[in-house]
Amino acid sequence: MAEHQLRIDHAGAPRATIVVVPPLFEEANRMRRTLVLAMRALAADGFAAVLPDLPGQNESPVPLAEVDLDRWRDAFAEAVSGVDGPVIVASFRGGALIDHKANAEAWWRLAPVGGASLLRTLLRARVSADREAGIASSLQELQDQARTAPLLLAGNRLSPAMIAGLGASEAQAVGPLRSIGLGTDGIAGTPLWLRAEPGENAAMAQAIAADIAAWSKTCGIS
Amino acid sequence: MTQANSVDATLRTLLADVLGLGEERAAALTEDSGLFGELPEFDSMAVATVLTEMEDRLGIIIDDDEVDGEIFETYGNLLAFSLRKVTD
Repeated sequence: MAEHQLRIDHAGAPRATIVVVPPLFEEANRMRRTLVLAMRALAADGFAAVLPDLPGQNESPVPLAEVDLDRWRDAFAEAVSGVDGPVIVASFRGGALIDHKANAEAWWRLAPVGGASLLRTLLRARVSADREAGIASSLQELQDQARTAPLLLAGNRLSPAMIAGLGASEAQAVGPLRSIGLGTDGIAGTPLWLRAEPGENAAMAQAIAADIAAWSKTCGIS
Repeated sequence: MTQANSVDATLRTLLADVLGLGEERAAALTEDSGLFGELPEFDSMAVATVLTEMEDRLGIIIDDDEVDGEIFETYGNLLAFSLRKVTD
């Protein structure tokens, strides 16, 4: 079944299409406002911008417990293959774990993170919530359980394949790639993907869009 | 900057990032400032995020069984735990 995608078009033929891989799980919700502001800024600058839903996330009809990282990699590659003209993939955080199967002219990654770190936070949230409820659990115990059955972590029912995949997953080599972080050498802004209560940052969205546009030019797409 | 000052600064920035406190509120935290149960933003997901970010930013590994409710009771407790881990 086809997944929804959010597409923001430029009036006229786009210079290129920026296809966005959002952060994974809760981090995606925390970043979404700012991602979409960045997409609007890109569209104003002559690009088309597309944010596809991953199976099991957002408006997807697929249950999350049925997917794993490989399915996300294939789904994202398929979303990119449906785009006419040059494509630049823009990945945020854990999005960098699933962006390498796509066929694109260039890649751009912001603050890529290893799957093990994301999984550790999800497992810890479960342990912390369990502790509040008076249940003693541990990271090891939960990981053992997750070998044979889906595990509910911070509201996400994750399959054994997803949990095993996350534990072992690092961003893969792609090229040409610009990989940057936050701060003076990267994007000015705060790690909104960590925020307990979602915020938004218009200046950061502008900075993201400007950096992607400059990278596009460097790659000879203009 | 001494190591204690640098751990303190790292921790304040981290709490500002995760809890969205803003620089002023983060700078105003004292030893006795309550965290978990006191700040409404500090839920179990935030606890988990803070632990993983502490590992990344302070270059430490935190074992499951070292973490109890007390660490997150006050800013002073969290700072003392971090300093102990960094100097271990």
